[in-house]
Amino acid sequence: MAVESIPRALDQGRPRTRQPSELRVIKVVWQREVLTYTRDRPRMISGLFMPLVMMLILGEGLGNSIGELGGGINYRQFIFPGMVAQAVLMNSVFTGASIIWDKQFGFLREILVAPISRTSIVVGKLLGGTSIALLQGSIIFLAAPILGVELTPLIVLKMWALMAVLALAMTSLGIALASRLATQESFQMVTQLTIMPTMFLSGIMFPVNNIPAWLEVLAKLNPVTYLVAPLRSAALSNEIAANATGANLVTNVKVFGHVLTTAESLAIVAAFVVFILLFAVQSFRNQG
Amino acid sequence: MMQSEDQQYAIEVLTLTKRFGDFTAVDGVSFEVRRGEIFGFLGPNGAGKTTTISMLCTLLRPTSGTARIGGHDIIQEPAAVRREIGIVFQDTTLDERLTARENLHFHGEIYGMARSEIAARAATILERVGLTDRADDQVLTFSGGMKRRLEIARGLMHSPAALFLDEPTVGLDPQSRRGLWGYAQSLRDSEGVTIFLTTHYMDEAEACDRIAIIDHGKIIALDTPSGLKGRLGGDVISVSAADNQRLAAEIRERFEIEPQTENDALTFRVDRGDQFVPLLFSRLETPIQTVSIRRPTLDDVFVALTGHQIRDAAPSEGERLISMMRSGRGFGPGRMGGPAMRGRR
Repeated sequence: MAVESIPRALDQGRPRTRQPSELRVIKVVWQREVLTYTRDRPRMISGLFMPLVMMLILGEGLGNSIGELGGGINYRQFIFPGMVAQAVLMNSVFTGASIIWDKQFGFLREILVAPISRTSIVVGKLLGGTSIALLQGSIIFLAAPILGVELTPLIVLKMWALMAVLALAMTSLGIALASRLATQESFQMVTQLTIMPTMFLSGIMFPVNNIPAWLEVLAKLNPVTYLVAPLRSAALSNEIAANATGANLVTNVKVFGHVLTTAESLAIVAAFVVFILLFAVQSFRNQG
Repeated sequence: MMQSEDQQYAIEVLTLTKRFGDFTAVDGVSFEVRRGEIFGFLGPNGAGKTTTISMLCTLLRPTSGTARIGGHDIIQEPAAVRREIGIVFQDTTLDERLTARENLHFHGEIYGMARSEIAARAATILERVGLTDRADDQVLTFSGGMKRRLEIARGLMHSPAALFLDEPTVGLDPQSRRGLWGYAQSLRDSEGVTIFLTTHYMDEAEACDRIAIIDHGKIIALDTPSGLKGRLGGDVISVSAADNQRLAAEIRERFEIEPQTENDALTFRVDRGDQFVPLLFSRLETPIQTVSIRRPTLDDVFVALTGHQIRDAAPSEGERLISMMRSGRGFGPGRMGGPAMRGRR
């Protein structure tokens, strides 16, 4: 650059800066997300223990009266992947809220005035939210033996992959909402209105195939349903194998009389994830 | 090659204009800031200070005109301009959950500093703003003055050509304000950085090398503080009486001088204060309670130039700017910009 060839008496020894690479920005934004998460002890602890406590209460309380759901799967086993999904879902949406935190404390301006692209910022935040949600969801694995679910390394790997997809989608949703809202209070209102029904009507707590028709329609319009089903199939694959018949209907989704395979569910999920990702990036880039 | 004037000027502003609908916030402003200068932008709230700084920092697109910072055009090369500048906003923009050092490291990363330089640079700059012993404490434990110093350190972290400070001392106690000025001057000397600041405090403007006085979006004077005061010449007499109105009428009548009312006193300028005061006492009938003679201050310069005092504050410009942005008239330079300034205090 021409300017740099001119000796500037006052600038002697000024270190040169360069346009930072997108990857570098993504990495440092991701690092900050994870670092600030580890500093926020109340959030960490409530995020870790809330699903565990709920699972034990639901699994032990309801499990006794409900008993077997079909195909040899009992409610305590059924609720295990549900609670993993719930932990991932809640934590990733609330990580999206970190944008609101950044707004309220002004730090967002520090990021937005830097010579970096907004897309790398939002990708870093997505990966940060995904990492945190994965960690929170994995804590639930510890309860698997208590609930009678047998995990193998392969099952864990499969679950992680599916959890990552769910976390990515829900962090995107959180970022999209947070980009459009100004305060924590409004974010909490909106998430309670949208996330709670999404969560309850996704097969997390009960199978979606044998419920009243109006509920069933809502549950099957909910994209998260198609992620919970593969996650459950993966988590309970040992138990399903042992009871070959009937378990399908408990774990998978039936649409128009056809029980979707894992591959079919994931195709629906892929479309949804691409859409919500682009929506989140766009929302973040457009915010004032 | 750039022209030779680029060596001399850190900031060149060329008929910069910003209109919000019918309202012209900045009206064809032109000036240059020399390298290594502390340049003050002085004016009442609503005069166009924040709007100007927002445009120079590529956060707001000018309606017309442009500016060059370190030789880079703010419209053509916003990313290059952003690497050349450090910005300290009116409100803090630190991550309080991170430590002082972590805030600086994050900044170094997103401004593309060489990895090998980040740690050493952070240590140096923390030392220069006197925060070395608190470097590894979370920012939420810091006082207002310490936060502001850390923000200045962060603004300088990537060794910008120019540091922009938007009302840097608003909300600080008098001791922190004085301290901050000490730091600003020593940083200018040690870093060789050009400092551009806005203020509506006259005493702060006195400490600048040069001042531009802005009112209603236009620069109405630009000079050194002593140059501005020298323009007025003479002395300022300040008198008060039990009945100031009667006193004012009498001064008008006997001396053909139009006094200004300022804090329960009447002020006016004369060539030789020492010779005028005896005349004042001999010719006036209204009993005078107090009298003082002083050299003109920047306040007097401001009043002489604008006909009003700087404290007659109009609605905050920042507030106006926010409402403009909320109403969707904001601007982001391409994909990375965005009017992220909040004018709230």
